[in-house]
Amino acid sequence: MSRRNASLHPGSRTKDVAAPVLLMLLILAAWEALVRIFAVPTFVVPAPSEILAQIYLERAMIFGHLQVTLFEIVAGYLLACVVGFGLSVAIVYSKAFRRGVLPLIVAAQTIPVIAIAPILVIWFGYNDVPRIIITALVAFFPLTVSFVTGLESLESELINFFRSLNANGLQIFLKLRLPAALPNIFAGLKVATTLAVIGATISEWVGASAGLGYLMAQDTQQINTARVFASLVVLGTVGILFFAFIGLLQRFFMPWVYGRPRFLARPRRASPAAATMRAKQIGTSAR
Amino acid sequence: MAQARLDIANLRVTYAGNGQAGVTAIEKVDLTLEPNDFVSLIGPSGCGKSTLFNVIAGLQIPESGAVALDGGSIVGRPGCVAYMMQRDLLLPWRTVLENVTLGPELAGQPLARARDTAMTLLHRFGLEGFENAYPAALSGGMRQRAALLRTILCERSVILLDEPLGALDALTRASMHEWLLGIQREFQRTMILITHDPDEAVYLSDRVYVASPRPMRIAGIVPIELPRDRGRDVTLTPEFAEHKRQVLALLHAPERARSAAA
Ligand SMILES: Nc1ncnc2c1ncn2[C@@H]1O[C@H](COP(=O)(O)OP(=O)(O)OP(=O)(O)O)[C@@H](O)[C@H]1O
Ligand SMILES: [Mg+2]
Repeated sequence: MSRRNASLHPGSRTKDVAAPVLLMLLILAAWEALVRIFAVPTFVVPAPSEILAQIYLERAMIFGHLQVTLFEIVAGYLLACVVGFGLSVAIVYSKAFRRGVLPLIVAAQTIPVIAIAPILVIWFGYNDVPRIIITALVAFFPLTVSFVTGLESLESELINFFRSLNANGLQIFLKLRLPAALPNIFAGLKVATTLAVIGATISEWVGASAGLGYLMAQDTQQINTARVFASLVVLGTVGILFFAFIGLLQRFFMPWVYGRPRFLARPRRASPAAATMRAKQIGTSAR
Repeated sequence: MAQARLDIANLRVTYAGNGQAGVTAIEKVDLTLEPNDFVSLIGPSGCGKSTLFNVIAGLQIPESGAVALDGGSIVGRPGCVAYMMQRDLLLPWRTVLENVTLGPELAGQPLARARDTAMTLLHRFGLEGFENAYPAALSGGMRQRAALLRTILCERSVILLDEPLGALDALTRASMHEWLLGIQREFQRTMILITHDPDEAVYLSDRVYVASPRPMRIAGIVPIELPRDRGRDVTLTPEFAEHKRQVLALLHAPERARSAAA
C-alpha cells in the first residue's frame, strides 16, 4: 500500500527501466548473431535489423493498416469496459442475475470467438462493427471478473459503518464500493489492454480488407515473413503503450497508493474566523 | 442544543442461527443516559457489547425491547447517534481531512463549512499538518484520534465508542484518557464507552455498567464518586482503588458463583 514499494511501483525510473532494456538488447543481439551465423533464410526467421528495415521501408502501408486496427482496439476495449462494468454491477447487486446470467457468460467464454466471426459478419455486414464486437468479446470476461471481485472486496463492517452514517445506496456505491474496487478494476483494465490487441488482430482474419491482422494474414500466405514480423513488432509496441497508459491512469486515480503527482499537490488552508466560531459552537449545536 | 436522553429498556437481541434456535447475545439490558453523561460498559469478550451498540445505532433490530432518544424510538433508524466502531475504519483512499468530514458529506451538508470546522479542530486532535495525509501515513494513535474527530464532526449528542483505544499501547492510552476526558467536557456530548480495562472505565466515567458473560445482562452499576475534573493523580487514591475493586468484583461474580456451586 505504501510508496515504499519501489519495485512494484517504479519510482526510480532510470534504474527500473535500464534492466529490461538491457536484457532486450542482449536478446536482440543474440538473435541477430544467430540468424547471421547460421544464414537462416529471411522467410523462415528474419533478423531484427531486417524487421526494423521493413518497418521503415513499409511505414506508409503499415501505419495505414495500424490506424484501422487501432480504432478497433480502442472501440472494442471501451465497449468491453462499458458492458463489463454494467454486468458486474448487475451481478453484485442481483442474486437472481448472478445465478441466471453468470453461468451463461462463463459458458460463452468457451466458444472460440473466431468461429462466430462469420456469423457476426452476416448480422452486421462488412464493416467495423463485427470486428469491434469480437475485440470486446475477447476482452470483456477478465474485465468483468475483476470488476466483480473488486466491487465485492468490501468488508461488511465498512458497509455497516456507512449505514450508521445514514448513507443511501448510491452513496455506498460511489463513495465506498467503487473506490474500494479500484485496485481490482485497474488490474482488469490492464489485462484487457493486451486482450483487446489480440482480439482486434484476429478479428481481421475474417471478412476484413484492412488492418494489421489482415495484413499479417496476407503476408503469411505470401510468405513475406519479414513484414509479418514487422506488423507483430508494431502491434507489440501498441500493446505496451496501451498497457503503460492504463498504468498512468491508475497512478493518477489512486494517489493514496502511488503518491500525489507533483502538479496536484494542493496545500489547503482554512482560517476564516467564522470556522473558529463554528468549531466553538459545535459543542452546543449537536442534534 | 437538544441535550438528548437515551433510554434502553428490556432489550433482548438474538442472532438468527442456521436452522436451529439462534444465539441470544443480549438477554435483558436496561440503561438510561442523562445528557452529558460519560458511562462505560465493561464486560468479558463476546458478551454482546458491540451488539448492543449496533442496536442503538439502528443497524440491528432487537428481538424485543425499546431504544428511545428523547422519548422517540430509534430502533432500526441509523444516523441518530454517532458511532465509532471497534476498528477505526478510515477510508484509505481519502485524506485525513476527507475522512473526518465524511459524516457531514453523506448528510449532504455544505462541504466547505465542514472542512473549515475540521481544520480548526485538527490541532485539538493532534492531527495538525496531517490534513492532506492518507491514513497509511498515520500512527495507530493518530488513526484513532482521526476516527474520533470524524465521530465528533457527525454532530450527534450521543456518541458510542467501541473500544476506541483498544489498539494502543499503555503509554499512549494513558495520555489519550486525559485527552478523551477533555474532549468530552469540551464538546459536552453524552458518551458510552466500551472497554475491557477497569482502570480506563473508572477513570473516565460517571458510571460503570458491568456486563455479564453472554447472554448479556447488566451485572451491576458502579457510580464513580470522583470529582468530575479529575487529574491523573486520582488513580492513586483509595477511592479509585475501591471503585476498581467493585468493578472487578462484579466482573468476576459469575465465576465465583460457579465455583461456589461446585
Ligand atoms: N453476525 C453474527 N451472527 C451470529 N452471532 C454473532 C454475530 N455477531 C456476533 N455474534 C455473537 O454474539 C456474541 C456477542 O458478540 P459481540 O460482537 O457483541 O461481542 P463483544 O462483547 O463486542 O465482544 P468483544 O469484547 O470481543 O468485542 C458473540 O458471542 C458472537 O458469537
Ligand atoms: Mg466488540
